[in-house]
Amino acid sequence: MAAGVAAWLPFARAAAIGWMPVASTPMPIPPQEKKKGKDGLIILNVSGTKFQTWRTTLERYPDTLLGSTERDFFFHEETNEYFFDRDPDIFRHILNFYRTGKLHYPRQECISAYDEELAFFGIIPEIIGDCCYEEYKDRRRENAERLQDDEEMDMSNDVTPVNLTPREFLWRAFENPHTSTLALVFYYVTGFFIAISVMANVVETVPCGMLPSRAKELSCGDRYALAFFCLDTACVMIFTVEYLLRLIAAPSRYKFMKSVMSVIDVVAIMPYYIGLVMTDNDQVSGAFVTLRVFRVFRIFKFSRHSAGLRILGYTLKSCASELGFLLFSLTMAIIIFATVMFYAEKGSTASKFTSIPAAFWYTIVTMTTLGYGDMVPKTIVGKVFGSICSLSGVLVIALPVPVIVSNFSRIYHQSQRSEKRRAQRKSRLARIRAAKIRGTNVYMRYKQNGQINSLEEASKEAGKALVAKARSPPFESQHNHLLHCLEKTTNHEFVDEQTFQANCMEISVMNKTGSCASSLSSSPHGLSSCCSRRHRKKSSFSLPSTNNQELSTIQIRERPVANSRSSLNAKLDGTLKCDKPYITPSMVSLSAPVVTTSDGHGSTTTTAYSQSNIVRVSAL
Amino acid sequence: MGALMVIFSVQPKQRRKTTDSVEDELELSTVRHRPEGLEQLEAQTRFSRKELQILYRGFKNECPSGVVNEETFKVIYAQFFPQGDASTYAHFLFNAFDTDHNGSVSFEDFVMGLSILLRGSIQEKLNWAFNLYDINKDGYITKEEMLDIMKAIYDMMGKCTYPALREEAPQQHVEVFFQKMDKNKDGVVTIDEFIDCCQNDENIMRSMHLFENVL
Repeated sequence: MAAGVAAWLPFARAAAIGWMPVASTPMPIPPQEKKKGKDGLIILNVSGTKFQTWRTTLERYPDTLLGSTERDFFFHEETNEYFFDRDPDIFRHILNFYRTGKLHYPRQECISAYDEELAFFGIIPEIIGDCCYEEYKDRRRENAERLQDDEEMDMSNDVTPVNLTPREFLWRAFENPHTSTLALVFYYVTGFFIAISVMANVVETVPCGMLPSRAKELSCGDRYALAFFCLDTACVMIFTVEYLLRLIAAPSRYKFMKSVMSVIDVVAIMPYYIGLVMTDNDQVSGAFVTLRVFRVFRIFKFSRHSAGLRILGYTLKSCASELGFLLFSLTMAIIIFATVMFYAEKGSTASKFTSIPAAFWYTIVTMTTLGYGDMVPKTIVGKVFGSICSLSGVLVIALPVPVIVSNFSRIYHQSQRSEKRRAQRKSRLARIRAAKIRGTNVYMRYKQNGQINSLEEASKEAGKALVAKARSPPFESQHNHLLHCLEKTTNHEFVDEQTFQANCMEISVMNKTGSCASSLSSSPHGLSSCCSRRHRKKSSFSLPSTNNQELSTIQIRERPVANSRSSLNAKLDGTLKCDKPYITPSMVSLSAPVVTTSDGHGSTTTTAYSQSNIVRVSAL
Repeated sequence: MGALMVIFSVQPKQRRKTTDSVEDELELSTVRHRPEGLEQLEAQTRFSRKELQILYRGFKNECPSGVVNEETFKVIYAQFFPQGDASTYAHFLFNAFDTDHNGSVSFEDFVMGLSILLRGSIQEKLNWAFNLYDINKDGYITKEEMLDIMKAIYDMMGKCTYPALREEAPQQHVEVFFQKMDKNKDGVVTIDEFIDCCQNDENIMRSMHLFENVL
């Protein structure tokens, strides 16, 4: 908890004197200080290397080996020291944890050795400080992956496990072709057919020689139309079968259908089926021809067979913003130069620069240093600007290219690292919240125990009850006492998040039921928080016998004299009894001890309690 | 071309940032403070030698440079109150400890303050509390100052409390306080009114002795 700054706890407690004059309720009794055991030095001998520290430093963390009585098992009487037969280099970090409250992970140590030492000394690795936590998690994950790879390799050498369902077996065969020979055969067959299909698409456009009866040359596709059609049919059948099998075998069909590879598969085979449906319709045959273009997407099916292609696609995707920016700046330059060239060439006769969009082509060709020569400036001004254009083109195109290349590698690594960090950030925030909740839970437990103990004290002798209290470590009990003092000062109690949410839920439920208090909702204070309305409802509920009119009169009377203690006491003595039985059932977890202690103490607490009632009721 | 211009315009800003931070680092590292000797501190405070040793070790552990600035102070104090926001109250506390108002609390300031709080007479403790509440140190506690202090204390409770904190709770608490303390009803509390009133209140008297054996 705050054990890292345990040395400052006396200061924080002393500063609590600042609350005393404004406290609304009397302070709780501080925990008895144990007989101040001499704060002596402890010698820790770890395989010959001697470490020394104060006893209280170690006792800051009583649930670890060194902080608890467990270390007595390692006490060596002859030399009057604690001897541990462990690694002294790693022990240094563990001891530093006690000293500073922060656990660091040394990068040169092996992760499994470090984990073992932490486990031995009873320290959970989750408290590693943020500076080293990322590295620790990375190494741990690498280690786990290495172990998993070893396992997998062993597994693949064994006989394939028989307890896979046929569906899972099929999926595994598709995803890892090396698992069985059948899968490997299928993998190569599909690869072969993809290649055949792509080559057929290419070849069918090659001119294949002339038929004597025709005037122009036929492409191979037209000449051997039937052969190509059969080839296409065979390929599409294989692809369809493959797609359907994958769809059946996929563990999550919806996720599979959304994935990129499945979209590519569909796009690869769709043109064929669409073509089958509308071959004889001349009107749409133009569209049909364009659809054939999509057949070239079959080449992307190769990305299942090649990891490099997948990486390229991924990096392009992650570099999209840089590419977009490059495109944008290029567009700006193109527009500028095209405009300039158009107006420069406007005067010359038979100029090819008929419009600014027509000049775009010239600018692009010039800036990329292609220089086709189909459009050339004829005027001197045009030539001047044309040369400026080509020179700046060299700069504009050539300079960002290395930037983009380095961006590729940087972004690739960075996206991996940032995804890691994002995942870790969620868990880091969860850790922080869990630590906070742990802290408050400790305090809640202390309160329940402490209340019960203080009651027992009042009735029994002090000595007996103290035994029960002495179980918690001195630092914690002092910290809890400090938080208790704050509660008494402000006359509010700490609750944990769930109870608080539950309380807020109650209001929304009661909002719907309690219409009688709606007339009181227009209070001059204009409360906005949900829990304030709860109190309104609560006090209205607490006087079920009184009708609306009485209720409103009571509240109205109390508002102007909200600050006068004596008058309110007189009124609230009546409400006090009604309130209590209402409170107990709604908050079972906390209210029981609260109510009993208020009974147990003297009149001062009753006034305090009624004071808290003042706070509640007068909000109306 | 536009891209080039943008790239070049971004670079100088980054360079400027690094030079600033280097200067800042130099400033911080030159601020070091060594406390007066143990005998002197023993004479000036009511702590024994051993107690001073323990205090200094804890102090130096958290602040190796020998002085606490306000940020570190807030961070340390906030660790004791995880549920709420202790920074405002820590600010007031810092001002109360920083008696020479130089923006940092040295070990002497720290130990003097603690000596009053833990070993001082009732008069001195009440004096210290008055000094804490009197934010502008003019000898009067006004309602605004008290409201600030009260809000700071309530902030430390955080959001999840029972009964749930409402916005007027600090205000009401201030009213109660002034009701009690402001005898001549002039809207401010002077040091004499404060001490008088506290000495007549047995709750407060009892609670003043609460932390005597903290160290």
